[in-house]
Amino acid sequence: MKDDFLVFDHVTKRFGALTAVDDVSLTIAKGEFFSLLGPSGCGKTTLLRMLGGFERPDSGRIYLEGQDITDLPPDQRRVHTVFQNYALFPTMTIWDNIAFSLKLSKRPKPEIEERVDEILEMIQMSEHAWKYPNQLSGGQKQRVAIARALVDRPQVLLLDEPLAALDLKLRQHMLIELDAIHDQVGITFMYVTHDQGEAMSLSDRIAVVNKGKVEQLDVPAKIYEAPASRFVASFIGDTNFFSGEIASVEGDYCTIQTEGFPAIKAYNDKNLSAGQRVDLSVRPEKIRVTLNPPPPEKGASINVFPSRVQDIVYQGVYTKYWIKAGDLRVAALKPHSRFLLDEEKITWNDDVFVWWHPDDGYMVEAK
Amino acid sequence: MRDVSKSGKAEWLVTMPSFLWLAVFFAVPAVIVLAFTFHGHTANGGVGDWSLSTWRELVDPDYPTIVWKTIRISVEVTFWCILLSLPCAYAIARLPKRWRALVAGAMMLPFWTSFVVRVFAWKTLLHPNGWLQACYLTWLRVCDWAFDWLPAFLQKFLVWAGLASAGHVDPAMSTILDSEAAVVLVSVYSFLPFAIMPLYTAAEKFDFSLLEAARDLGAKNFYAFRRIFMPGVRQGIVSAVLMVFIPAIGSYVIPQMLGGTECVLIGNKIFMRAMQNRNIPHASALATLMAVSVLVPMGVAMWWKHRQEMRDRRRLDVRTAQLMTGGEGQ
Amino acid sequence: MKRSYFSTVVLALVLAFLYVPILLVVVYGFIPNGISMSFFDSAGRFSGVTGKWYSMIFSGDVRLGSLMQSFWLSLTIAGLATLVSCVIGTTSALALHRWRDRLQAVHHALVYTPLIMPDILIGISLLMLFVACSVDCGFWTILIAHVTFCVSYVVMTVLARLQDFDDRIVEAAYDLGAGPWYTFFHVQLPMLLPGVVAGGLLAFTLSIDDVVITSFVNGAGTNTFPTYVSSMTKHSRNLPAVFALSTLMLLFTCVLVGLSKLVARGQQPRAKARRQ
Repeated sequence: MKDDFLVFDHVTKRFGALTAVDDVSLTIAKGEFFSLLGPSGCGKTTLLRMLGGFERPDSGRIYLEGQDITDLPPDQRRVHTVFQNYALFPTMTIWDNIAFSLKLSKRPKPEIEERVDEILEMIQMSEHAWKYPNQLSGGQKQRVAIARALVDRPQVLLLDEPLAALDLKLRQHMLIELDAIHDQVGITFMYVTHDQGEAMSLSDRIAVVNKGKVEQLDVPAKIYEAPASRFVASFIGDTNFFSGEIASVEGDYCTIQTEGFPAIKAYNDKNLSAGQRVDLSVRPEKIRVTLNPPPPEKGASINVFPSRVQDIVYQGVYTKYWIKAGDLRVAALKPHSRFLLDEEKITWNDDVFVWWHPDDGYMVEAK
Repeated sequence: MRDVSKSGKAEWLVTMPSFLWLAVFFAVPAVIVLAFTFHGHTANGGVGDWSLSTWRELVDPDYPTIVWKTIRISVEVTFWCILLSLPCAYAIARLPKRWRALVAGAMMLPFWTSFVVRVFAWKTLLHPNGWLQACYLTWLRVCDWAFDWLPAFLQKFLVWAGLASAGHVDPAMSTILDSEAAVVLVSVYSFLPFAIMPLYTAAEKFDFSLLEAARDLGAKNFYAFRRIFMPGVRQGIVSAVLMVFIPAIGSYVIPQMLGGTECVLIGNKIFMRAMQNRNIPHASALATLMAVSVLVPMGVAMWWKHRQEMRDRRRLDVRTAQLMTGGEGQ
Repeated sequence: MKRSYFSTVVLALVLAFLYVPILLVVVYGFIPNGISMSFFDSAGRFSGVTGKWYSMIFSGDVRLGSLMQSFWLSLTIAGLATLVSCVIGTTSALALHRWRDRLQAVHHALVYTPLIMPDILIGISLLMLFVACSVDCGFWTILIAHVTFCVSYVVMTVLARLQDFDDRIVEAAYDLGAGPWYTFFHVQLPMLLPGVVAGGLLAFTLSIDDVVITSFVNGAGTNTFPTYVSSMTKHSRNLPAVFALSTLMLLFTCVLVGLSKLVARGQQPRAKARRQ
């Protein structure tokens, strides 16, 4: 533990009857871009604030570079926060805002000037140095808030849903910028968000938090493709769940019998035996929808079901089809990789075939 | 941040300046005044021994009349202020944004002249040879004529309530200066901005599209005003009433400069007893009465507001519980 | 819309009603005859306007001696009372905003009760205090009284600003390494300053205008401007001087308010010059 960079050791925090953080342990590597992802009220912000020093854990410790910082007040930690609403000092210019922490550590004046100018260059705000916060746009304020927190090179940078107040295009732009800043500066980032797109595009690792507990801690790809629980599977991206019982096992594969749906073949990666209950998660983009049945070479190894199209949602890049198969509503995504007008047109109430490869389903823990 | 416990010493340090000052110069004097009411008064202006004589002497027919007159006049002033300020607040809130600040500021500008000087200006306006005096006489004559038409029992009631006097008006005796009417007029003048401000604040937050919706559904202007606008600014009306009534009860300057002998209110009596008659216990007792007649409406208003909030909070809890059991969280 | 016309008319009438006495105040400053308070002489002829009252004020004419003395006393007391009540009031507001416990509940009652008490009550209770302590009434008792009733208004104003305060900004300051005192002086106080100034202006206005409380605690000889004016009778010959002085005060206040608005608007480009 002493060698790890940032450690949360069995941290718990309660607010009255509510347990916001429930015995959470995390280890974060130096220079990592680490995200806490979860719905509102799941405890991710509380974890962040405990690291920043604004909340005290009821039990558990926090270690930063070997030092126990659990009891340190915020002004004595080398950890800085980028707040959601920026919290820039309104009576100071941008320059003074950024120089704030440097002035506090009593650095010599030329060094302060050099560092502030340097970081202003990095965020491309040099011409705005003498403006006041209320004269800036949201994106500009965001950049100043980041610069202010980074300028004295903290051990960890905490970001509390920093892009939440920005509009879509600006958010996409800032995502790229944040990534670039992280690469350039090499500081450990701890990022809190409820937006999975942000988390997945920026993070080295993600901790998915729900009701005060970490449900899964892994790299983005594993979280998406191999979700550890039903919650993670449905919170991240879209998925279809097929709940049923293992009817039979054939080698690496098994057959799942669901209610109201024909038997499904799936890859038995959890090595379950017949009789056990399981939830199978199949992502919509893995499911194909066609008017004609799949070619016979695919053979009996794939799952094929005849169904009827109930709803169509056109999204430009892809079209989402809601299919009624048995008693279930299944979602399938059809990407438009060819010019749309040349493809076969599927419309409402068409009889179609949905099919996917057994490898593309993932077993999620059944209750 | 609130649970970072440096609160002990720092809190005392920061609270003590104002706490001590107000305790010594506000709370302690209040207690002293209350204590003085339980003493008798001595002939040469000192304070005697503990006794209830002061309270017994208060029943002297002089005092209840004054108290009643003060309350009655305060109610009258409040009534006129609210009546005039409602359309004003409505009109200001309807103005385009730039004008609003201007007009609101225009309301405040009179306050930058000395209050006493303004009342003095009124005193010269109400001079016996002025035209306002002529208007006043005419009004009195009209009232007389109307009074004569009323049935006897109603006449008796009005005289008893102090709203009218038996007998007809005598031009030589009734000057508008040194009369109740003058006090009411100038009080309304002084307190009107106090009524307009809270009403305007409430009117600004009012959603005027509600009135348009009402008109769309067939309501006439005044109906919509009465049924939708007024309830909508209810909180503002309550604030306005309090902001006029309470200072009105404590009126001293206006009755003193313009009321003459006809219009002596509690405030004037307190001053008289304290400074001229040197009867400190009586002055204290009257002051206590005044304090009570101020605290009671305030208390009622706060209790009512508290009840409203409790009711709203209970409704919100019920609704939240419904949502949480109905849906599945996120 | 018919409603609009009616209420706008009422508004116009009310504004006229409010301003007529103000106009009178200005006009009466030019009246030639202080005793009869009329622009016409005994024969009914218009005797013209005069600026003699203004010149008397500015030249320090001895006939206006006690009037001017009361005026300067008012200014002094108002200035001092504003200063003291701003300091006390700001600390009070900070305490009420930061902590919520029983001490603050009592503190809150202590601060807000004077606001609803009529001036008479505050005046008489302070008089009783001074009588009970055998203190001679004069300058200091007036000053104490003014501070006492001004504090609550300053607290009210500053507290309102504090409630709009973004608490995250204080957190941001701590987060970046600032201790509580540094944060207070470098971050919170500059943000609070407009509120404190507004409270101070309110206190100043109330103090200069106060007549009731002052009449109770000023003792026999000391007169502030309002108490002096209220004791002037119909037979005083220098009445127009009072109006002239009031007009000057009004002008001064208007100029002050106008200036402060200009300063507020001009503040932002000022920072550019610093770096060069």
